[in-house]
Order: sequence, then structure tokens, then C-alpha cells
Amino acid sequence: MPQSCFNETKITGIVTCVPPLEKCIDDEVELFGGNVKQIERLKKAIGLNKRRVVDTQTTALDLCGSAASQLLADRGIDASSIDALVCITQTPDHLQPCNAAILHGRLGLSSTCAAFDVGLGCSGYVYGLWLGHLMIQAGGCQRVLVLAGDTLSRLVHPKDRAVAPLFGDGGSATLLERSDVERLAWFNLGSDGTGAAHLIVPAGGARQPVSDATKVEREDDAGNLRSDETLFMDGAEVFNFSIQVVPDSVRATLGYAGLEADAVDFFVFHQANRYILGNIAKRLRIDPQKVPMRTVERYGNQSSASIPCAICNELSASLAGAERSRLLLSGFGVGLSWGSALVELGQLAICKVIEYKPA
Amino acid sequence: METFIEDFEAAVDDIESGSLSMETDFKALKSWDSLAILTVTDTVEFEYGVLLRKDDFTQSATLGALYRLIETKVGR
Repeated sequence: MPQSCFNETKITGIVTCVPPLEKCIDDEVELFGGNVKQIERLKKAIGLNKRRVVDTQTTALDLCGSAASQLLADRGIDASSIDALVCITQTPDHLQPCNAAILHGRLGLSSTCAAFDVGLGCSGYVYGLWLGHLMIQAGGCQRVLVLAGDTLSRLVHPKDRAVAPLFGDGGSATLLERSDVERLAWFNLGSDGTGAAHLIVPAGGARQPVSDATKVEREDDAGNLRSDETLFMDGAEVFNFSIQVVPDSVRATLGYAGLEADAVDFFVFHQANRYILGNIAKRLRIDPQKVPMRTVERYGNQSSASIPCAICNELSASLAGAERSRLLLSGFGVGLSWGSALVELGQLAICKVIEYKPA
Repeated sequence: METFIEDFEAAVDDIESGSLSMETDFKALKSWDSLAILTVTDTVEFEYGVLLRKDDFTQSATLGALYRLIETKVGR
């Protein structure tokens, strides 16, 4: 992909919204067949612990909308000043219209605002930022709101150990604005569609509409239950993919920017699990202190909301206190898709995690 | 060859150093699970530059067989 470089966009706020209900792996001993020892090992090695899950009334649209409202209020700007609304999600409220259209109405955005969804997961946040940068750099937009989030907890089979304890819910809002001061950003994106079957919800779309057959539960060799309507993940394949692709993507982005790893203040990876993060950090030989790794154990793997949540959860104080910070973001997963971005932030006053409260 | 066994023992939980051999049926080990598959895959990739897949483990009856498989892949 032709790599892209920008110089006139700044990120002026990030808010992540999580549902209040917390689940903990310690309470799911039954799921692991009473194997408390295995739970301890998973906690220690992979970082599985807590995650937030929505109730039946709440969707990713609600979480993203709540984050957006908070962000606009904190920033003190009118919704009508937003030129584009991009919603990264794979758990939209409806097959149509898209979440961005519904939120456009809810947030009271202007009729001259472009609003659309992007169907990506773990790599989605970086793609969302890239789109926002493109829109501002091309001249048409002053302000772009990028929302990103999913409710994966509603797609997993509760008796599928490979996925149920991993995925948490979250929604985020990031405000991009035209900058008078030069702010550099470099993007590197990639895809591997041959890996599509490694992370997939087979039924519920056009290819395989829901039916009695798609609800049939099957047990795999490891005793996990799933149906065609629940999320399937080949953990080993996704792990292999991650450790191969991500270090290269990060190196390519640094090379493109002409910077060394020590010029980066923080490396924020998609919070898949702590083992992958530690592994990638080790392969890249980067200081673990620069790598937020404590978000997956608190909030789970939140798909496209995972990177903004890691920033809000672990870097808020650092980013508020520094005049300038260089962040390297890298998202990777479903598609298979990946993206890395090196962005320069000024002092970030708005950077927080909030809990969802129905209006 | 010895370092391979050492690496394997270190990668998998609850394995006493020196308790495994080339004849070990590693899939029968008590702590052989999906986490072990990840850590061994990772170690082998790091040390030998070879990425093992699920079939490679299912087709290898012993540690020795797994090692020979890795050697073949490295040779390529």
C-alpha cells in the first residue's frame, strides 16, 4: 500500500465508554471445568481477568454515542461543526442504515456532514484515524469525529472457552481537527484476506442468513461449544499472524517516518491479550514501560475500541502532562487486517474512560 | 537438539527441567493445552525462524518427531 504521511491534523480528544457490568474469569470456574489452576495460568500468561459487558438494551452505537457526547461537551464545540462522522464497527444496530447515520441524527450533526460506517474490528481504529487524516488533509474538513467500538460479548457463545472470556465491550470517540501547527503522522496499512476464516461470524449476513440450521451447536475437539451465529477464532492462526505481521508493520512505519524506536514515547497495540503484546514488544526490542499492557486484563479485548481504551486507561496522565508525545499505534486482527500509525500529539486535555449511563 | 528440549521444557508450564526426552509424547503431558501450543509455537519461531501450525503438532507423535519436522522446515 502506498504509505501515507500527513502534517496538518491534530487529535484533540479521546473518550472511551464502557458498560458498567463487569465479568471476571474467577467467577467462570465452571466454564473451565473447575480447573482453577488453568485459570491462574491464563491470568498470568495471557492477562485474562476482567471485562465489561453490555446488557440486552445497550449496543455499540450507544457506547460510541455516549463517548461522542462527552467529547463534544468537554471540547466545548457544537455538533454542527463536525464535517465528517466515521463509525468503525462490526456490531451495528441494524443491517441498514449504518450506525453513523443513526448517530448523525442523535447527535444533531449538520446536513453537510458526511456520515458512514467502516466494517473493521481490531485494525479499525488506525483505519479510522487514517480516513480522518485524509479528509482533513484534502482540505474539505476542519473537524472529523471517529467513533470506534463493538459489543463482541453478544457474539460469543458463553461455552466457547476460546473466545467467551476474552472479549469485552466498548465504544470510543476521537476528535480530529485541522492544525495550524505542523503535526506529523505516518500510516502503514495492510491486509490478508486469505485469513478471513480465522476470525469470523459465519451466519447472520447475506452469505448465510440465520435459520434453524445456523443455531445448531457443535462441540469442537477441546470441548468448546459454538454455532454458525457465534464468533469463531482460530487462536493459533491469529497468534501466528500477529507475531509475524505486527513487528514488520511497526518497523516499516518507523522506517517511513525516519525515526528509531527510542523516538517514540508509547507503543499502543491492539489489546488482544498480554502474551501477544509482550511477545511483540520483545521482538521489536522496545522498552516494556513504553507499552500499555494492562487494559486487556481490566476491560477485555474490545475490538476497535481497544487502542483508544488503552490510551485513555493508561496514558491519560502522561499525555496531559507532556507538551508533545509521539505514539505508535498498531491494530491487527479480523479480516485479516492491520494498520500502524505514528502520530504526534500535543497536550491532550481530554483523554478518559467513562461508564455508560442510559439517557 | 538438547537446547530444543530445554526450550520446550521452559516454554510449557509445570515441566521439571530434565524430565523430557526425544521419546516424550508431548501431547499427553498434563499441561499440554492451547496455551502450551502458543508458547511453544512462539519459542520455536523465535529460536528457529520456523512457524509451526496445528497440523505439525498433531502429526508429531514425539518431541523427536517435532524436532525433525522443524529441522526439515529450517532446511527449506
